Amino acid sequence: MSCEQARLTIGADPEGSAPELERHLQECESCRQFRAEMRTLEAHIRRALERPPESARTARFTWRPLALAASVLLAMVAVLAVWVLRPSDTLAREVVAHVQEEPESWLARQNVDAQSIDEALRGAGVKLDITSDRISYAQSCWFRDHYVPHLVVQTAQGPATVLILRNQHVRTRRSFHEGGMSGVIVPAPQGSIAVLTRGGADTAAVAAQMQQDVRWLPDAS
Amino acid sequence: MRPDLLRFAHWLARDRALAEDIVQESLLRAWRSRDTLKDQGAARAWLLTIVRREHARLYERKRLELVSLDEALESQTAAKMADPDGDLFTLRNAIMRLPIEYREPLLLQVLGGFSTEEIARELALSTTAVLTRLFRARNKLRTFCGMAPAPDVVASEAAP
Repeated sequence: MSCEQARLTIGADPEGSAPELERHLQECESCRQFRAEMRTLEAHIRRALERPPESARTARFTWRPLALAASVLLAMVAVLAVWVLRPSDTLAREVVAHVQEEPESWLARQNVDAQSIDEALRGAGVKLDITSDRISYAQSCWFRDHYVPHLVVQTAQGPATVLILRNQHVRTRRSFHEGGMSGVIVPAPQGSIAVLTRGGADTAAVAAQMQQDVRWLPDAS
Repeated sequence: MRPDLLRFAHWLARDRALAEDIVQESLLRAWRSRDTLKDQGAARAWLLTIVRREHARLYERKRLELVSLDEALESQTAAKMADPDGDLFTLRNAIMRLPIEYREPLLLQVLGGFSTEEIARELALSTTAVLTRLFRARNKLRTFCGMAPAPDVVASEAAP
């Protein structure tokens, strides 16, 4: 067996141990090293595939005990106050938690292409009337049982994160400061738009721009 | 069983709602053709192949857009590798972006437990072609775990 055949065999099934392969590995240090690397990679792949894509990242904080304790406390508050206050506060907290779980989004500096933006918007029932020359990050993220576009927009004052939240309705504009971030959630025709920054980006201006640029498709599921 | 099917369909379709549709339709098809399942022990593999075929049918019908992995590979930075959770997130993203011809055999092998020969039969490919695709799938993912990509193999991909 040649090194090329050995690597093909290992790459196709890192856990395989065919006799012919084992004989080759006894004599070839570099292929042994390759198999060790591929087995490490395989462990990572299996871990990565343990959960469906995206959904696990939001599940971590949705059901944490703190949320249960908070819900008990909220039950003691007057019903009207609960309905008025709880959804928006919780939404802001979850938005911050979601962004904290994707720290690499702030690091992106290169502009993403239009295809990546379309991919991020797909399934969210929105279109974006904006050129891609300001967007450095675009992902479709699982958030509150829906896919939502997660964008990072580069502004003169620094990056601003935008989550387009179809199905998450807020009555009024709400500013928040949490987890080292400041931001705003603004109402939109069929949901809301959250804009966050860790620095000096003008979230109000970005939110206003997004309210103009986002088109909400009527027939989205 | 259903969560397994849904996870498999979700990784194939890369869309939760589509995956739900695929699994629902697959279970209906399975129910209609339940008499063809002779070995109850093979039910899981049987259902997974139905899900895969249903996804393939849907893909052909709707011409679902695919995402090129190459651009994603180029855009990843070493900084993401520093954090273990970041590693996993990046790898999951990379798997999502694998072209279907690489993602499909990888999912059949890792999630479905299918052998190379079984994958070849299911995908109507030669065993060599399946080996090559599995090798290339993992080789593309090496970059996302801080490993240099290995030289490509030269085995040809030919239909049986």
